[in-house]
Amino acid sequence: MKLLSILAGLALALFNVMPAAAADSVRFALCYDLSKAYTFVSPQIAQAARDYADLLNAKGGLEGHPIELIVQDHGNEPQRGIECYERLKREGVMVFDMLSTPVSRAVLPRIMKDGNILIQSLVGRGDAVDGNVFKWVFPIGPTYWGQAANDIEYIKQKSGGTLKGVKVAFFYIDYPFGQEPIGILKTLAQKEGFELQLVPYPLPGNDQASAWTQIRRLNPDWIVSWSLSNMHVIASREMKRNGISIEKYIAVNWLNEVDIKNIGPDVAKGLKRGTNVAGGSNQPLVQEILKELYDKNKGNGDRKFTEDVYYNTGLAIYSIAFEGVRLAIKKDGWPLTPGKIKNGLESLKNYDANGLIAPITVTTQDHGGGGKTRIEMWDGGKWVPQTDWIAGFQDDVWSVVKEQSADYAKSETQK
Amino acid sequence: MDAISLMESAANGALIGLMYSLVAMGIVLIYKSSSVPNLAQGSMTMLAAYVVLAFANSAGAPIWAAISLAIITMFIIGLAIERVALRRLAGRPIIMILMMTLGLEIFLRAGSMTIWGGTTRPMNLGISDAPLFLGPLLINRAYAFGAVVTIAMFGFFVMFFRSRMGVVLRAISDDYTAAWSVGISVERGVALSWAMSAVVATIAGVLWSSVQGVDQSLAQLLLKGVTVAVLGGLDSIGGALLAGVLLGVVEGIASSVLDPLLGGASRDLVDAAMLILTILIRPHGLFGRHDIERV
Repeated sequence: MKLLSILAGLALALFNVMPAAAADSVRFALCYDLSKAYTFVSPQIAQAARDYADLLNAKGGLEGHPIELIVQDHGNEPQRGIECYERLKREGVMVFDMLSTPVSRAVLPRIMKDGNILIQSLVGRGDAVDGNVFKWVFPIGPTYWGQAANDIEYIKQKSGGTLKGVKVAFFYIDYPFGQEPIGILKTLAQKEGFELQLVPYPLPGNDQASAWTQIRRLNPDWIVSWSLSNMHVIASREMKRNGISIEKYIAVNWLNEVDIKNIGPDVAKGLKRGTNVAGGSNQPLVQEILKELYDKNKGNGDRKFTEDVYYNTGLAIYSIAFEGVRLAIKKDGWPLTPGKIKNGLESLKNYDANGLIAPITVTTQDHGGGGKTRIEMWDGGKWVPQTDWIAGFQDDVWSVVKEQSADYAKSETQK
Repeated sequence: MDAISLMESAANGALIGLMYSLVAMGIVLIYKSSSVPNLAQGSMTMLAAYVVLAFANSAGAPIWAAISLAIITMFIIGLAIERVALRRLAGRPIIMILMMTLGLEIFLRAGSMTIWGGTTRPMNLGISDAPLFLGPLLINRAYAFGAVVTIAMFGFFVMFFRSRMGVVLRAISDDYTAAWSVGISVERGVALSWAMSAVVATIAGVLWSSVQGVDQSLAQLLLKGVTVAVLGGLDSIGGALLAGVLLGVVEGIASSVLDPLLGGASRDLVDAAMLILTILIRPHGLFGRHDIERV
């Protein structure tokens, strides 16, 4: 009897699953780290993706085809990410997003071999913006190299157009994420003549005391920080202890409203960050989601997350992905293939998701969409843009991109 | 690197080291009574910090009341861990007991992630972040406060081990079979050591959280705690105190000199070197009993 009940349950479960995997839906795989290192950001991004999918589905989906999101946990473990990819690939999914640098790197060779689409905004290898080499990878948005170059462009603007004699400390967590911009910063330091000091600190990022002692003694004009979440909070306290003005501090995009709250909104006054999305819930797209979903108790998570810049980051990633697929269906028709989706994404031109992101134009050569960011400053109550959307030192960034993507292409041909 | 920088790194290192000692004291307390190296001490420190926040944020208690309530709660949790998980392993091979504490460590860390998520939460004890200069040396107030509390805890344990209950624990530590034969309740003594260790974990959790916030990375204090405990001698509270200072000073100076050259991992290298060298050269540590030896 018990066995019969189990079999009946399984049959029902299968029956229920089948409609979800309907052939006319567009399926996206969000293989995310929902349990380890990326949990400071993955819930907000997944929530935003689900919310936006629901909003579009209520309007008829993408050119009449409903969006289906499949969210699974890989715990930031490359092997589990590969399992997630292989399993969902067999189920016919063509668009994947890993939201993790190590997992994206691990999955990338399979994506390239299979000819599926890898969305890897803000994570993964920076040279993947080279669409000539990484045909199936779309790191839409700024790479860490582009972000760092844009920070230096801002410093140059603030220094009266020249960087000669300017001291910049690069304060970074000493693992691949933090080390990523070192190459481009060294190139720019040599070219522009500013003094670059590298100040690493160890994982897990709580022990910054000796790094800040070094920075105090270096007395830099600017501090560019490649840190995540709470590491910025600890940095702010160390800066105060060391008598260093927080106005010198320019954070990478991974600093959100929770961090500001933990630093203290008044203490954080003057702090800066680079970003590729406009923050806050007053953005038109966020407002529409609040009205259509959260006001009707149909949201996919806690309403307070919608005020988080990482929520907007999720909206940015998926507004781009959904728009690319919509263009693919519109241009080349149904059924979708990875090739059609690729063409769709490469058709994005000056797309800004109704003001949410820097306008992006994706081409067959540039899968990054232009790599624009802007510098914002916390004024005690809100983020105030300090620049327009900028993409500085593009020649230098692309020179590093080409150099590294050529290495990848060479290693692939030798296999 | 000038002399003042080195002195500053050494001074702050000593203060940080004293805070490591607090984690090590928890390990030593349990080892003294039951010869169990508790690999869950880091996770207990993390759990205690979350319990404090639960009282402070969810129940709305003032922070000092929340800490007091957390101390009581952790005392009970310490007793419960010993009663439910450890006591039934009495007489089993040490490797089984070690694996049990490792299992506890994973359980507490994963459980906290499930309940509270991965976002770091602040714990504000009201310690000012303003610069504090002693002559030319910048001293971190949070570390200084932590060091004072650690020394106070050490004083408490010196007094405690002279009390009636403390003498009972020392007797169990010296020879639990003999203690048993003269009517001492060894189980109760061991349970008390787990409870006291959980209380020390609470104080360590509060102090470290005030520095770095509350998240799962607090559990990684285990590495520091184990290094200090082994260096000082696994059964010596005083050894833990002095070894903490030693490790902190060496770490501080090494990271000042080596971090710019090697990257940010020199502290971990120092920890690993200290641990390996201690086990190779002096397995009983600086102040431990000589019966902790290589066989």
